[in-house]
Amino acid sequence: MGLYRRYGTKDKYKEKTRNIVLAAVLICLAVITLFPIYYMVISSFGAPTEAGGASYSLIPKSFSLASYQFFFDYSQYSFRWILNSLLVAGIVTVCNVLFASLAGYAFAKLRFPGCQFFFFLLLVAMMIPYQVTQVPLYILVVNVLKWQDTYIALVAPTLVTCYNVFLAKQFFTSLPTSVIESAKIEGCSQPLIVWKIVMPLSKTVLAVMAITTFLGEWNTFFWPFLVCNSEKMQTIQVGLKNFSFANTTYFAPMMAGATISALPMFILFFSLQRYFLEGVTVGAVKG
Amino acid sequence: MKRKITAWILATAMTAAMLSGCGGEKAADTSAGAGEAATSAEESEDAVQGQDKEAGTSGEKDVVTALLPPVSATYQDKIMEYVDAFNQENADIQIEVTTASWEDMTQKLDIQVNAGSPPDIAFVGSDGISKYLDLSMIINLNDYLQDELSDFDENVLNYFRNGDGTYGLPAYCEVQCIGGNKEKMEAAGIDWENIQKNGWTYDEFREAIKKGVSTEGDDTCYGFVFACAGVTAKDYFSIFVKNADMPASFDKDLKYAYTSKKMLTFLEDLRALIDDGSMPKELSSVDAGKRWNMMLTGQTMITGKGLSSFERSAYNNNKMLEEGSADAVENSIPVEYIVLPVPVFNGEQHALGAVDGYVCLTGEKNPDQAHLQNVAKAAYYLASGERAAYTCQELYLSPVCESGREEYAKLDPIVDKNEANTACVELLTTQIAEARPDIPAELSAKAIKIEDEVIGPKFQGLLSGEVSPEEMYQAIVDAGHEAFGEEGCVAD
Amino acid sequence: MNKAKKKKMKKEVVWAYLFILVPLSTFIIFTIYPVITSVITSFQKYRPLGSEWVGFSNYVSTFKSSLFYKALKNTAVYTVITVPIGILMSFIVSIMIVPFRKGIQSFFKGAFYLPAIASGVALSFVWKWIYDPLPSGLLNSLLRFFGVSNQNWLGSSKTAMASLIIMAVFGGLGQNIIIYIAALLGIDPTYYEAAEIDGSTFLQKVRYVVWPLVKPTTVFLAITSVINGFQSFQTAYLMTGGGPDNATTMAGLLIFNRAFKYFEYGEACAQALLLAMIIAVFAILQFKVSANDVEY
Repeated sequence: MGLYRRYGTKDKYKEKTRNIVLAAVLICLAVITLFPIYYMVISSFGAPTEAGGASYSLIPKSFSLASYQFFFDYSQYSFRWILNSLLVAGIVTVCNVLFASLAGYAFAKLRFPGCQFFFFLLLVAMMIPYQVTQVPLYILVVNVLKWQDTYIALVAPTLVTCYNVFLAKQFFTSLPTSVIESAKIEGCSQPLIVWKIVMPLSKTVLAVMAITTFLGEWNTFFWPFLVCNSEKMQTIQVGLKNFSFANTTYFAPMMAGATISALPMFILFFSLQRYFLEGVTVGAVKG
Repeated sequence: MKRKITAWILATAMTAAMLSGCGGEKAADTSAGAGEAATSAEESEDAVQGQDKEAGTSGEKDVVTALLPPVSATYQDKIMEYVDAFNQENADIQIEVTTASWEDMTQKLDIQVNAGSPPDIAFVGSDGISKYLDLSMIINLNDYLQDELSDFDENVLNYFRNGDGTYGLPAYCEVQCIGGNKEKMEAAGIDWENIQKNGWTYDEFREAIKKGVSTEGDDTCYGFVFACAGVTAKDYFSIFVKNADMPASFDKDLKYAYTSKKMLTFLEDLRALIDDGSMPKELSSVDAGKRWNMMLTGQTMITGKGLSSFERSAYNNNKMLEEGSADAVENSIPVEYIVLPVPVFNGEQHALGAVDGYVCLTGEKNPDQAHLQNVAKAAYYLASGERAAYTCQELYLSPVCESGREEYAKLDPIVDKNEANTACVELLTTQIAEARPDIPAELSAKAIKIEDEVIGPKFQGLLSGEVSPEEMYQAIVDAGHEAFGEEGCVAD
Repeated sequence: MNKAKKKKMKKEVVWAYLFILVPLSTFIIFTIYPVITSVITSFQKYRPLGSEWVGFSNYVSTFKSSLFYKALKNTAVYTVITVPIGILMSFIVSIMIVPFRKGIQSFFKGAFYLPAIASGVALSFVWKWIYDPLPSGLLNSLLRFFGVSNQNWLGSSKTAMASLIIMAVFGGLGQNIIIYIAALLGIDPTYYEAAEIDGSTFLQKVRYVVWPLVKPTTVFLAITSVINGFQSFQTAYLMTGGGPDNATTMAGLLIFNRAFKYFEYGEACAQALLLAMIIAVFAILQFKVSANDVEY
C-alpha cells in the first residue's frame, strides 16, 4: 500500500509501533461494536428463563445448551429450508452483481438519451419509505400475480436493487475512461468491455456487493414470511422463527435463535471475503 | 456443499443464457425463467422427499387459514396437535396454521388486512376489533354460531361485541394488576391477605410503598416499580385509571371521560408516588424485563404490571436457588409472589381484564357462506374445550367458557399453587370493568388514537418529570375537544 | 468517418439500453408500480374492499398535524447528526485498517460488520441493558467511574435522541467500512508514488489523493445514509416507542403507525410521499454540492 510510508529495514520497529498503535485503537472500537454480539452469544447459553430473568452479567454463569435443544430435534424440512435460503440468496446475489454492474456501467460511462432521467428514477424509488410500498407489493405479488409460495415471489422483488446499481455506478465513474476508449478503438464490444475491463478492475467492490447482498438476502425474514405460508417454501430464517424462538419473552432461546441464524453468515462472511480478496490485483491497468 | 455449488452453477448458467440470448427480454421473462428453474428444483426435491406430499393431497377440503401467536409457552406446539386432530375428524375442513411471534404475526396480519386478503382466523386483542370493523372485514359470528356462543361467559364475550354483533371468541381474560414480595410486605407491616380480599385506597397504598423503601449501602429497594419504558407506559396508565372512577374512556352517555377533573387528581397522585421516593425517578425507562429482574433481586417490594403467571416464574427461580443452580437469576432472592389489586383512587374497585381471542376475517365483499360456516366452526374449536383449558392453565388463569372449565377440571392441578392468589384472581376477574359494546367503533378508534398520540407520550413525560400533571391534563382536554367537541366530553 | 462514429454512438446507445433493461423493468414492476399505487392511494380514504376519493384531505390533515412536523424535525436532527459522524468515522477506521495484512483486515472488517447482520431485535435487548437507567446499568456504571452522574438515557427527552444516535452510528459503521475499504484498495498506487515524489506527508496524501479519489464512494454513502436516516424506523420502534413525549418519534414510525395501527393507509401514503420529496431535495442538494469539485 502506498498510502502509508514504507520504512526501510533499519526502521522496521517504527512500522511495528505504528501498526500496534493503530491496532490498539481499532481493537478498542471493535470491542464496542462486538459487545452486543458477545452478549447475544453468551446469553444464548443461559437457561431458558423468561426475559425478566435475563442475567445482566458480563460473564456467563452457567453453560447450558437447553436453548439449542430444538436444533437437534429433527424437522423434515430443516434441510429444505437451508436449501431454499441458499437458492434464493444465490440467485439474488448472482443477478444483482451481474445486472447492477451492467447498469452501473451504462450509467457511469455510456451516454444515451434519458440517462439522467432513468438514473433519477432509480434514486427516487429508494426514497419512498418501504412501509407504504409493502402493501401494494404484496397485493401485486400475492393477489394479482398469485405467486404465493413460489421461489419467484421470494426472488423477484430484489432481483436487482437500486442500492447496488447506485453503488456500481459510483465506483465505475472513477475508472479511467481512457482504458475504455482504447478498448473501444481496438474493436471491443460493450459487453466485452464490461467483462474484460470493468469487472476485473472492480473486483473489490463487486465482492463487497456480493457479500452484502448474499448476507442481506440470507437474513431477510419479513418478506419470505409474508409471501410463504407452506412450510416447504420457507427459508431458514422463517423456519427458525417458527420453532421455539417466536416467544420473545423467553430470553435465552431468542438469543440462541439470533445466534444460530447469524452463525452461517459469520462463517460465510469470512470465507467469502477472503476468497474474493485474493484475486484482486490493484491497478492492473495503468490509467 | 455440492448442492450449493449446483445451485450457484444453475443460477449462473441461467443468467448467462439470458444475457447471450437476444438481449431483448423483459424482466418478467427473466423472473419467469427463474421461476421455472425453481419449480423444477422443487419437483426433483419432492421426488426425493415423497412423504412431504401427503399433507397436500386432500384437495377437496375447504381450507381455513389461521395466523396464531405464541399465546402461552407451549401453545404453538400444542395447537398443532389439536389442529391435526380436528383435520382428521372433519372430512370437509382443513385448518392450516401459520405461527409466528406476536410482533411478526401482527405485522403480517396488518399487511394482509390492508391488502384485502386476511387469514380466515386471527388471534387479536378485543380492543382491536373496532379497526377491523371499520374496514368491514370482520365477520359477525351471530350468523354462524348460536348455542356455541352461550358457552362463553357473558361479560367476557361482550368484550368482542360491538352494537349487536359478536366479532370474536375469547381465549382467556387476563387480569392485569400488581404483585408483591410476601416477605418484604410482611416486614413493612402490610396486611396483604386483607388487601387481597378487600382492596386498598390510594392513600393506604401510598403509605405502604413508602414503608417498603429501604437502603442498604449502594442498593436501594423501592416500594413500587412499574414497567413504563416505551409503549408499556400506556399499561401503567390504563391499568390504574380503571380505579380512578373512569373504567372506560367513555361514560354511559358516550361522553369522553378522560377530560374530567378526576383525571388531573389522578395524574397528580401518580406523580406523587415518584416524588415520595417510593418509585425510582428513572421509572420512565424501566422496561418489563428490568422490573421483573428488580423484583427477583429484591430491588422492589411491589411490581406491575402483574400477571398471574408471574407466580410460576418466581416459583421456578426459588427452586433453582434452593438447588443452588447457576441458572437462577443473578443476585436473586427467594420471592413469594402475591397478587394484589390496584389501589382505588376514586369510586369502585375495578380490574383491567385483557381479553384476547379468535376473530374471523374475510377479504371478500360477498364471501361464500358455506366457507364462513366452516371458519366459525374452526374458530369455536380453537377457543373452547381442551384448547381453552390447556392455554388457561399455562397462564395460571381460569377458562372463560363452560366447555373449557369442564376440561380444566380433568387436567392435573398445578403443583404448589398459592391458593390465596387463585382466590384473589378469581375475585378480580369478577370485577373486571364492564365491556362496552355500546361504544361505536368510530368513537373508540378516535379514543385509541388519543391514547397513543397524546396520553402515551405525555405520560412518559410525566413519569420522567418533564411534563407536569397540569400540562398533561390540558393536552388531554385539548385533544378530547378536538376529536369529540366540547359537548362530547365530560366536564365537571 | 463521421458516419462511422455516429454508427458507433448509436450502437453504444443500444447497448446502454440493453444494460439497464433488466434493472429498469424490475424497478418498474416492483418499485415504480407500488409507488404509483401509493400516489393514487394518498388521494383516497383507503379501504381494502373499495376506497373512496377524498381529494387532498389526507395531505391537509397531514399538514395540520403538529406531530408530523415534530417527527420531521426529529428525523432531520437524527439524520443530520448520524450521517456525517457515521461517514467520517468509517472513513477514518477504513484508513486505519488498510495497512494491515489481509488476514487482520478481514478480522477487523468482520468485527465492524457483524453487528449489521445480527438480528436487530436481539441486539436491542443488549442496548437496553447498556442504557439501563438505574445506577447498575452498564453505561451508568462506566460513567460513574469518571464522575458523571446517573442518567436516564432513554427516559429523558434530553438524552433519548442522543442515545439512539450513538446506537445507530455504531450499528451502521460496518457497511460503510467495507465499502470504503473496497474503494481504498481500488486506488492506483501510482498516485501515492507521485505524491511521495512531491514530498507529501501522510495527512496530505489523505487529503489530496485519497479523499478526492473516494469521493464517488462518499457521495454514494452520504446519499444512501441520508435516505436510510430519513426512513429510520426500527431503532425508535424497538427502543423508545417514540417517547418520551414524542422526543424520538420519527417520520418512519409515524407512517408505520398510520398505516398499520390505525389503518389510515391513505394518510400514511400522503405522509410517505411528502417525506420522499424532502429526501429528494436533500439528495439533489448533495449531488449539486459534490458535483462542484468532482475530479474524475
